[in-house]
Amino acid sequence: MAFVLATSPAQAFPPAAPTTDDGAASAQRGLASRARSKAIASLPAHALLAVLALVSIYPVYWMFVTAFRPNSDALSTNPLPGPVSLENFVTVWQQIPIGSMLASTFGMALALAAAQLLVAILASYGFARWSFRGKKVLYLLFVGSWLVPFQVTMIPNYLLVSQMGLLNTVAGVVLPQLCSAFAVMMLRQHLESFPKELLDAAQMDGRSSWQALWQVVVPNLRPALAALAIMLFISAWNEYLWPSLIMQKSTALIQVGIRAFLGAEGNNWGAIMAASTIACLPIFLIYIFLQRYVVDAFVRSGLK
Amino acid sequence: MFTEVSGPAAALQASPAVVGPAGGRPARTAALRRRRPSGTWVPYLYVLPAVILLLLWTYWPLVQTAGLSFQDWNLIPTRPKVFVGVQKYQKVLSLPELHQALTNTVAYILAFLGISVALPVLFALLSRKVKGKARTFYQALIFVPFLVTPVATSAVWRWLFAPDGGTIPAIAATLGVPMDNVFRDPNAAMTSVIVIVGWQMLGFGVLVVSAGLAGISPDYAAAASIDGANQRQITWRIILPLLSPSLVFLALMTILLSAQWTYPIIDLVTGGGPGNSSTNIYYLLYQFGFRNFDAGLSSAAGMLFFVGFGIVALVFVELSEKLSFHDN
Repeated sequence: MAFVLATSPAQAFPPAAPTTDDGAASAQRGLASRARSKAIASLPAHALLAVLALVSIYPVYWMFVTAFRPNSDALSTNPLPGPVSLENFVTVWQQIPIGSMLASTFGMALALAAAQLLVAILASYGFARWSFRGKKVLYLLFVGSWLVPFQVTMIPNYLLVSQMGLLNTVAGVVLPQLCSAFAVMMLRQHLESFPKELLDAAQMDGRSSWQALWQVVVPNLRPALAALAIMLFISAWNEYLWPSLIMQKSTALIQVGIRAFLGAEGNNWGAIMAASTIACLPIFLIYIFLQRYVVDAFVRSGLK
Repeated sequence: MFTEVSGPAAALQASPAVVGPAGGRPARTAALRRRRPSGTWVPYLYVLPAVILLLLWTYWPLVQTAGLSFQDWNLIPTRPKVFVGVQKYQKVLSLPELHQALTNTVAYILAFLGISVALPVLFALLSRKVKGKARTFYQALIFVPFLVTPVATSAVWRWLFAPDGGTIPAIAATLGVPMDNVFRDPNAAMTSVIVIVGWQMLGFGVLVVSAGLAGISPDYAAAASIDGANQRQITWRIILPLLSPSLVFLALMTILLSAQWTYPIIDLVTGGGPGNSSTNIYYLLYQFGFRNFDAGLSSAAGMLFFVGFGIVALVFVELSEKLSFHDN
C-alpha cells in the first residue's frame, strides 16, 4: 500500500559523495546528527499520532480489560488490567448459545462474501472485456444503486423475503445482498488495467472466455480479489440493519443475539463486554494476520 | 480455437456469434477481435446475474416503494392497500418529526464532514514526518475502530459513558463537571452519537488522506521550494489541490453514507431519543415502517429523501468535477 511504502522526500537530495576517508567520516557524523535533529523535529508528529492512536484504541482496550475482570471488581476504574478471570465469558457462554451464533454468523458472512465475489467477478469481467449494446446503461445501474439507500427499499425487500418464507432465516439475510455494486465497480477498475495481451494470448491458445477468466484473469488478480473478499467478509459480519429486521424472532446471528443479550443484562458490564469481545474476535483475528490486506482494501476503495 | 470445450464454457461457446466474426474475418487483429461488435450475447451472460439481482433487490423495490407511497397500508398481507393519492406526502411533510430528523441529518453530516474530512487532513499533514515502522504501527491502531462491530461499539460506549463507573463521567467528575446519563439528555444525546460514530470514522479518514498524500510525488513540493515557496504556500497551493480527489471522495461518502453509519448506533444507543433529539431520517423511515406499520408514510418519506439525496449527490459530483484538480 502506498502509505506503507512511503519514502522520505528528504532522501530526494542525498548528500554529496565524499572524496576522502576523512570526508566520509565527517559525512557520517553529519548524517547521524541530521538523523537526530530529524527525529527531534518529528516529535510533535509522533505525539499527535500517539494521542490519536490512544483515543482510537482505548475503548477497545477497555472492552478487553472489563471483559477479563473477575466479577468482584467489575466496576473498577483502574485503567490497568488486574487479575485475569474468565468468569464473564462463562456467564455469556451459559446465557446465550454464543458458539452456534459465531458459527452461523461466520457461515453467513463467508457465504455472502463468496457469492458477492463470484457475481462481481462475472459482471466486472463482462464489463471490462467486451463492449456491447446497452453496456453504458447497464453499468449505470450499478453506479446509480449508490443513490438508493437501503432504507428506501427495505419495506419491499422485507415483503419479498417474507413471501419467500425466509423471515428469521440466514438465507433471508443473504439473498437481498448477493450483488454488491461496490464490488463490481472496484473489480471492473482492476480489470480495466489488466494487460490485454494476456487475454489475447489466452484466446489464441484456444481458451474460451470462461476458461480465460478462471485460468488467466482470476489467478493474476489474486491479491486484489483477496483484499476484496476480506472486505466483503468484514462488511457482512458487521452488517446490522438488515439482520436486525429479518431476524426479529431469531438470535442465530451474533449482531441480533448480542443485542438481545445487551437488553437483558442491563448493567452487567463485565458480561456485556465479554459478549462484545466475542462478537469482534473474528474480525480482529483477520486484522491481526492480514492487516495489510484489510487496510489496503478499505483505503484503496477510498482512493478511486 | 474451440478444441478444449468443457463444462459451462460449452454453453458460451455454442454462440454462433462468437464463431461468426472471428472465423469470417481472420485478418482482424487480436485487439479488434477483443472488441467484438454488438450482436454477440456472451458479455450479457456474464453481466446478467448481477443485473438481475440488482433489478430484483434494488430497482424493482424502488418502484414498489414509489407505488406504496400513494397507498395506505399497514404491512399486513391480508389487509387491502387503499389508494390515497398524495395524502401521505402531505402528511409526512407536515410532521414535526420529519423536520427534526432532517435538521439532525444535516447536523450529523456537517459534524462528520469535520471529523472524517477536515480533521484527517490536519492529522495527516501534521504527521507526515513520521515514517516507516512507527507510522505503520500508529496506522494499524488508528484503523481499529472502523472494524469494531456495531453492537460492540455501542456496548463499549454505553459502558464508557455509564454514570455508574463509566470512564468518561469519572474523568468529568475529577474535572469538576458532573455528568448524567448522556443518552437520556436531549441536549447531549446527539453529541454522544457523533462522538461514537466519529470515533469509528476518524481513523478511516486519516488513512484515506494519508494514502492520498503518499501518492503525491514529492517532486512538486521540492520544485516549489526551489522556486522559493514556503511550507504554507506548498501546503495550500500544491498539496491540497493534488489531494482534492481523495477529499472529494471522502466528502461525498460522508454526505451519502453518514446517515447509514449513524443508523446502528442510534438504534442501539439512543433509540432516536430522547424526544427524537438524536434521530435521523433513516431511523425515522424505520420507525414509520416497522414501529408504526405505516408503509405509505415510510415510503413517501423514503421517496422524498431518495430524490433529495439524488439531487445533492448529482450537484456534488458536478461541482467536484470542476473543483477537483487532477495530477496528469
